[in-house]
Amino acid sequence: MSDFNVTGAEGTVSIKPPPETPKLPPRLWIKENLFSSPFNIFLTVASTGILLILGRGLLSFIFSHERQWGSTATNLRLLMTQAYPEEQYMRVWVCVGVIFTLTGLSMAVWNAGSRVALRRLGSFLLSTGVVIDILTLLAPFSSSATIIWLCVGTGISLFGGSLVKFSDEDKTMSVLTVTVIALAVAILSLWVVPYGHHSFVFERTPRSLAEAGTVALTTKLPWTIMLLIGIAAYFAGKAIREKVSQNVLRVSVLTIWFLAPPALLYLVLRDPDFDMGHVLNTDIPIFLVFAAVGAGLLFWLTRPTAGELGKVIAAITLLIGFGSFLTPMRMIIRILILLLAIFAISAPTFAGDTQTRRRYSLGWIGVSGVTCWLVTAINTPSTVEVPGSFFIGGVSLTLLIAIFTIVISFPLGILLALGRTSTMPIFRILCTWFIEFVRGIPLITILIFFSIMFPMFLPKEMEIGEVASIVIGYSLFSSAYLAENVRGGLQSVTRGQHEAADAVGMTTPQKTLFIVLPQALRVSIPPLVSHCIGVFKETSLLAIIGLFDILYIARNVIPNQTEFLGSVRENLLFVCLIYWILSYQMSKASQRLERRVGLGER
Amino acid sequence: MSKLFKLLSLFLAVGVVAAACSSDSSDDAGTTTAAPAETTEAPATTAVELDADGSLLDTVIARGKVHCGVSGSAVAFSETQADGSVTGFDADYCRAVAAAVLGDANAVEFVALTASERFTAVQTGDVDLLMRNTTWTQSRDSDLGMDFGPTTYYDGQQLMARVSDGFDASSTVADLDGAIVCTNAGTTTEKNIAEAAELAGADIELLAFETSDEVYETFIAGGCDITTTDGSALVGRKVKQQPADQEWVIFPATPISKEPLGPTYGQNDSVWADVINWTVYATIIMDEYGIGSSNVDDHVNDPGEVGRLLGGEGELQTVMGLSADAFYQVIKQVGNYSEIYNSNLNPVGLVREGSANAGWLDGGLIYAPPAR
Repeated sequence: MSDFNVTGAEGTVSIKPPPETPKLPPRLWIKENLFSSPFNIFLTVASTGILLILGRGLLSFIFSHERQWGSTATNLRLLMTQAYPEEQYMRVWVCVGVIFTLTGLSMAVWNAGSRVALRRLGSFLLSTGVVIDILTLLAPFSSSATIIWLCVGTGISLFGGSLVKFSDEDKTMSVLTVTVIALAVAILSLWVVPYGHHSFVFERTPRSLAEAGTVALTTKLPWTIMLLIGIAAYFAGKAIREKVSQNVLRVSVLTIWFLAPPALLYLVLRDPDFDMGHVLNTDIPIFLVFAAVGAGLLFWLTRPTAGELGKVIAAITLLIGFGSFLTPMRMIIRILILLLAIFAISAPTFAGDTQTRRRYSLGWIGVSGVTCWLVTAINTPSTVEVPGSFFIGGVSLTLLIAIFTIVISFPLGILLALGRTSTMPIFRILCTWFIEFVRGIPLITILIFFSIMFPMFLPKEMEIGEVASIVIGYSLFSSAYLAENVRGGLQSVTRGQHEAADAVGMTTPQKTLFIVLPQALRVSIPPLVSHCIGVFKETSLLAIIGLFDILYIARNVIPNQTEFLGSVRENLLFVCLIYWILSYQMSKASQRLERRVGLGER
Repeated sequence: MSKLFKLLSLFLAVGVVAAACSSDSSDDAGTTTAAPAETTEAPATTAVELDADGSLLDTVIARGKVHCGVSGSAVAFSETQADGSVTGFDADYCRAVAAAVLGDANAVEFVALTASERFTAVQTGDVDLLMRNTTWTQSRDSDLGMDFGPTTYYDGQQLMARVSDGFDASSTVADLDGAIVCTNAGTTTEKNIAEAAELAGADIELLAFETSDEVYETFIAGGCDITTTDGSALVGRKVKQQPADQEWVIFPATPISKEPLGPTYGQNDSVWADVINWTVYATIIMDEYGIGSSNVDDHVNDPGEVGRLLGGEGELQTVMGLSADAFYQVIKQVGNYSEIYNSNLNPVGLVREGSANAGWLDGGLIYAPPAR
């Protein structure tokens, strides 16, 4: 209690940081933690032994002569994108480039990256080198390979050790710099070692799977360019940050991030073959009419004096939106009417001075423009021709389904949670039934239903792709679980918060949007992230219904190629690695997010 | 009051726009068939429904592409290659149909299907035909609403064992007494071997695995004495996976089950069925005459059956709704039966000579009705 110093009247509390635990020298640390009692000594020896045996088993599996690693190396392209045509590979790299640019930009805008002490970096390198040495001794290498790997491990250890020894106590380095150096080393190694090169196959005569001079042949040049683009974007972001206000910059970068997946997927990767005549005669006029009429309507509805009449109009718009399904018309018009209805219903929340109203109307124009553009792009036939029913597969398909499911199920789940905690009985009962119903069905049942049965329930003329219907089914499933996670968060918001919001005269939407949800979502970050990781990993169930995701390709397709008959273990190990890397990155990101919002500290 | 009036006129305007657009869209749907218009009521570019009067043939010609259902993961029959292309015996017959109908062997869209979804895919029109190691059975032909074309590959379930265990090519199911037999779970192979063993009075222990790879891993490691599946798959595994210190043998010479594999399509569409059947027959007849992709050009003007099939005097292809040179394109671009068989199945150790898949003149079952 002596650390707390309460200075009475003002109510300010100053808290001294807890005393730092003194660092023990290595030998004492080992004695303290590993060999402190006979039982601990036994545990240390036994677990070390088990770890060594496991390591030896894994390494002798990986480096055994029976392993057909050529099957993984040759089929990397199949595993990543299934059958994306090689002359179109530029498109894939453009997408990667956009993601690198956005990452670099965001790093600069959010001022990301902490600093790490050089000493810590040194000790990390030291232990990495030692681990490499131990693994080398365990692996069934030839003597020359053993010597080479021992030299590499020892070199890394020595470098790390000298960093520990000779750098100052408080000398630090930006984590970003360290990451860039590590990436640069990895990319540099592409220029020296030909791994990832398509013609790199072990047991048979090297056969290049791509034509010389095409982007598909090699990854070394594109990756180098990507790294440079990322670094350039970072410095560009730094320069822009000086000139533009923080809020505007952050909102626009976030908007680009949200628009990027559909835009890259449907415009860049899918390469729609736009019929310009149709676009000019039909799509653009529809957008213009809706933008103008909608903006005018919303500007009028957001007047503080709109009152009950405004609500009636919003309700009529919603009814027209639903009624539009009774008569044949373009889908885009139905979508736009429904969207306009949502904007009209939430208009009173954004009522205010002229500037706010103008902004709200402009927001409508932006949203309707993006919607028109996406619907047009999705409905235009693709020029990318691949065997199979969808233009990508492998890791790309896994990521596509995971990202779209997560993005769609988030708003849906939040709405369901709000509905379930609502005081309106109809919404509450409907949401509760939906959640309990969906949670009572296994995911694989839903996937099979949506892939095989769902198309049969659609009207005769309506067509929906298998991937699209699976995303719909998976999103419904995921949103039910997500809703329960969010509901937990909602219940943690105390009554006082609700009452305080009511006391200052907030409407229910305002209270929910600005007071309750931010607090509820902050609390539910850990379950939400584990839900996202779960969604990503459970995409592997797609393999059972025969979608060409990474697991299906690794387990069913590659082991059945004449050249690589029976090479299932190698590819499954590779798939494990890919899943682990991606899931681990997600949990790392969530840890950073938790630290940022101060979860568990406040 | 004036406000309300303004409002009403606004809705009227929206309504007019919506009405105008909707009439526009119905025009679109009527005129364009190639590109899907931007409506949910998109023209039937992908939906291939069997109309009461039209045949699938017209739909396929209008679409310009054959949607062919394959396995995508069947060794030597339809493999997905590293660059995403589909190759194999079944895949080549898909190409043959495309060459016959559209004149271009590459106008195929391969749709990889699992065993459970293959028949649904035909019923919903996702694929025009199946070339997916589908056995012709009575229940599928009658109950399931499928029709079957001429058998392209006569397969049958066989057994594989180690010579060191005392088995040889003349062993029979009766010799299996007390053996552990590995096979795939949930397939008819499991049922077939159980029935055959019971019939022969042999007492066996069955081990079922999810994938074939697990079956052979266990077999190699000695976890079972016998593996059993279709003969074509056993031969491939023997060629590729037999370790240096083991010798495997396949028996009995007469398979324990009949597995005739061939094209499968929706029932009651004779026009479409004729096209597929005669594409297969054309490859067989040309093989009988020894005419393949390399020498087909020399025989275009031959008299009789060859000339008729290749589009010469008295040809019947135009009657079937195809172009006169339809089967010339098949032979030229894909090849005759022997060429398709040898290029795909020889690499995994399957040879025609002496098997059920030899021509009828050589004592096999491959036979085609005359083209006249």
